[in-house]
Amino acid sequence: MLLLDLGLQGLVQGAIYALIALGLTLVYGLLRILHVAHAALFTLGGYVGVIVTNGTGSLPLAILLAMVSVGVIGIGVYRFCYRPLLNRSPLVALIASIGLFIAAEEIYRLVFGPYGLSFVTPPLQTQVEVFPGVFLSHARLLVVGLSVVIIGILAWLSGSTRTGVAWRATVSDPDIAASFGINIEKVRYLNFFIGSALAALAGVMVALLNNLVEPTMGAVPAYKALAIIVLGGLGSVRGTLVASLALGVIESFGTIYIGHLLDRDAIAFAFLVLVLMVRPRGLLSRG
Amino acid sequence: MSLLKVENVTMRFGGVAAVEDVSLSVDQGEMLGFIGPNGAGKTTLMRIITGVLRPQTGRVLFRGEDVTRWPVDRRIRAGLALAQQIVKPLASLSLVDNVALAAGAHRMVSPLAALLRTDRETERAKAGALLDFVGLGDALSMMPTELPLGDLKRLEVARALALEPVLLLLDEPLAGLNQGEARAMADLIATLAGKHRGIVLIEHNVREVSRICPRIYVQDNGRGLVDGRADEVLASPELRRAYLGEELA
Amino acid sequence: MAYEITVLTTMAISILFALSLNVITGFCGQVSLGHAAFYGIGAYTAALLTKSGIPLALALLPAAAAAGAVGFVVGMASLRVRDDFLAITTMGVAFLFVGFVRKQEMLGGEIGISGIPSVAFGRPGLLALSLLCTALFVLLTVHIRRSWMGFAFDSVADDEDTARILGIDVPRFKLWAFVIGTAGAGVAGGLYAHHIRFIGPDSFGFLESITALVMVIVGGIGSIWGVALVAAILSVLPLFLQFVDDYKLLLYGVLVFATVRYAPGGVAGLARTLAMRIRR
Ligand SMILES: Nc1ncnc2c1ncn2[C@@H]1O[C@H](COP(=O)(O)OP(=O)(O)OP(=O)(O)O)[C@@H](O)[C@H]1O
Ligand SMILES: [Mg+2]
Repeated sequence: MLLLDLGLQGLVQGAIYALIALGLTLVYGLLRILHVAHAALFTLGGYVGVIVTNGTGSLPLAILLAMVSVGVIGIGVYRFCYRPLLNRSPLVALIASIGLFIAAEEIYRLVFGPYGLSFVTPPLQTQVEVFPGVFLSHARLLVVGLSVVIIGILAWLSGSTRTGVAWRATVSDPDIAASFGINIEKVRYLNFFIGSALAALAGVMVALLNNLVEPTMGAVPAYKALAIIVLGGLGSVRGTLVASLALGVIESFGTIYIGHLLDRDAIAFAFLVLVLMVRPRGLLSRG
Repeated sequence: MSLLKVENVTMRFGGVAAVEDVSLSVDQGEMLGFIGPNGAGKTTLMRIITGVLRPQTGRVLFRGEDVTRWPVDRRIRAGLALAQQIVKPLASLSLVDNVALAAGAHRMVSPLAALLRTDRETERAKAGALLDFVGLGDALSMMPTELPLGDLKRLEVARALALEPVLLLLDEPLAGLNQGEARAMADLIATLAGKHRGIVLIEHNVREVSRICPRIYVQDNGRGLVDGRADEVLASPELRRAYLGEELA
Repeated sequence: MAYEITVLTTMAISILFALSLNVITGFCGQVSLGHAAFYGIGAYTAALLTKSGIPLALALLPAAAAAGAVGFVVGMASLRVRDDFLAITTMGVAFLFVGFVRKQEMLGGEIGISGIPSVAFGRPGLLALSLLCTALFVLLTVHIRRSWMGFAFDSVADDEDTARILGIDVPRFKLWAFVIGTAGAGVAGGLYAHHIRFIGPDSFGFLESITALVMVIVGGIGSIWGVALVAAILSVLPLFLQFVDDYKLLLYGVLVFATVRYAPGGVAGLARTLAMRIRR
């Protein structure tokens, strides 16, 4: 049962990674920017989620508000931080993004206080026996369920709607897309909105699982999500999903079996470095 | 002796074969004109020879050695030089320094030797002379971003020459120059061929190529079409077919 | 007097640390987001050695060697992966280092190493040693700048592919940049351990790496004196201003962002522009 349990824990963690990393991949695919500040939006999502739930008593409302407000802020981040840097080396944007991220963490500490917030009455904590002897809380089930649904919706959007086609065209060649009359700027706004909303959702989910949001909760996901999208081959949505789940599972087994050698975060990065040495362009790349 | 031998080289990008089963050789002291319509795979072949691209099949031999698996910089230090079609100046260095760096590259095989050497004057002087030679003598301390395309082409040539190559590959060095300038530049290139140095000149300007190159090789759609004495090649039906609809049709 | 000595030692060590990253990122153009790992390797190596009775001045050599050796390995990695992939790999290395140290009994695990012995001649002795190391490293980097190695670094930082077409053995030069830079960080780490006299995994986290990067970028990528100046100021500002100590990251974040956005040349670039204005 331990194996099954570990596997499930890993998948839940992987689903959260996927929600965070998808937004990063979307941004990378479109702008070739490693958007570290994405994790700041994840944290913000968590805060909005907890505050609204505590204020109104409604978790769904909190999720919705978190996604919308953070999505809009995501657009702002693009508009005011990245757009002016687009014609510079991508590393400039990466560095700016790191600056933005660490500044944001401090601002959260100033605004929301250093000790973090919790739900007054933590929702969805009931445990369900999913397999004989293996229990998952409603919150964990919700995480997995929502991830599957959202990824499904995104796949459908990008595959069969006009917007999706415009998006894919812009990713593969912005100049050609523009010559077909696609409004690239709009695609980018949409991209940041969706990516940031997903990060906010992940933030609320993590808040549910840990019953805690704190200013630095984005730090580890920020760097791990970067590792994930690099593992996934940078810009590949499929690669990102595979890498998220793989990492979730590897971490959950790794902590048990090699936890005496390396801590959880180090396991993730050991995996990253190993994979990159063999496949310098990510897990799913050829050669 | 054959300086360069390309043997049955094929390079595909996705489904497109940019170079397909091409063989070519250049001798010491030879001046080879290399023509072909846009997209014929000329630049791709130069990139294969210098090692920027690794062909899927075939070999490249330089001075009798199989260099197919050598990295670019090693081939360059062995005596190759390429003036690229798409100019690649080092934007943070002045013109003299761009050329001086190339002039000193042979001495920089070992980073330790590079660390121990500070004097740049010898190379700067040589760079100055070469820039003067290609007609940029009064722009030595300018930055590449301040120059028009035609001048950057000259810079490419000067930089390639600074490497003192045994085989000089020139990818459209006359592009961006007006008729008179092109003629002057072609004359200048003609003086570069020597007893020991071979030159490959890629050009769309067939008039200048036929004027200075005794031998011409034509490629179309990735395949070698004709290779031989300039006058014969220019009169050949294959050439007319390749350029049908283009300047010679 | 003791206070001034502390301040000066902090400055010297920070300058050394920032300049060591400047060789890799500033001179050779390879972004490293994990420089603190090498600082840490130097710190742990030197601390273990001095605790077993070896004088610090001697222990700094193995500290540099250990950091440089790992730097060599990471440099090898930099030959396989480029740009964004490299940035993330170096970041991974830093997390790996901290995660590894946390779990090693021998290195004190979570708790770290305390009771690091004081140096011969005490604080003034450490200051003298720090100033000496930093001065030597400054001289080394000034020399690199002027040498053909610096020239080759310029070309690699500018455009690797073109550097290769000009016959530069890019991989070897990159490796040298990594080894010189990481060995320098190792020395800085060794000094730091004996300055603070207590080290733990958290002393060498991601934020330390970012701090070094902030100094390099705000100082002006590749500029020796610009980076040194900013490192000196940023390292001791928190000692003087409580506000800066509390909101260090906010300050760093804003500084970096403002620099890349409005003054890409950093302090050095601003000074150059200013000098040009005055001359006119
Ligand atoms: N890196 C690449 N990836 C994909 N296709 C490429 C690449 N480089 C060249 N090609 C394709 O290979 C073919 C040959 O290109 P190449 O640049 O070698 O032609 P060329 O003879 O130099 O043309 P031109 O006279 O216009 O310079 C073209 O169809 C081009 O689109
Ligand atoms: Mg071409």
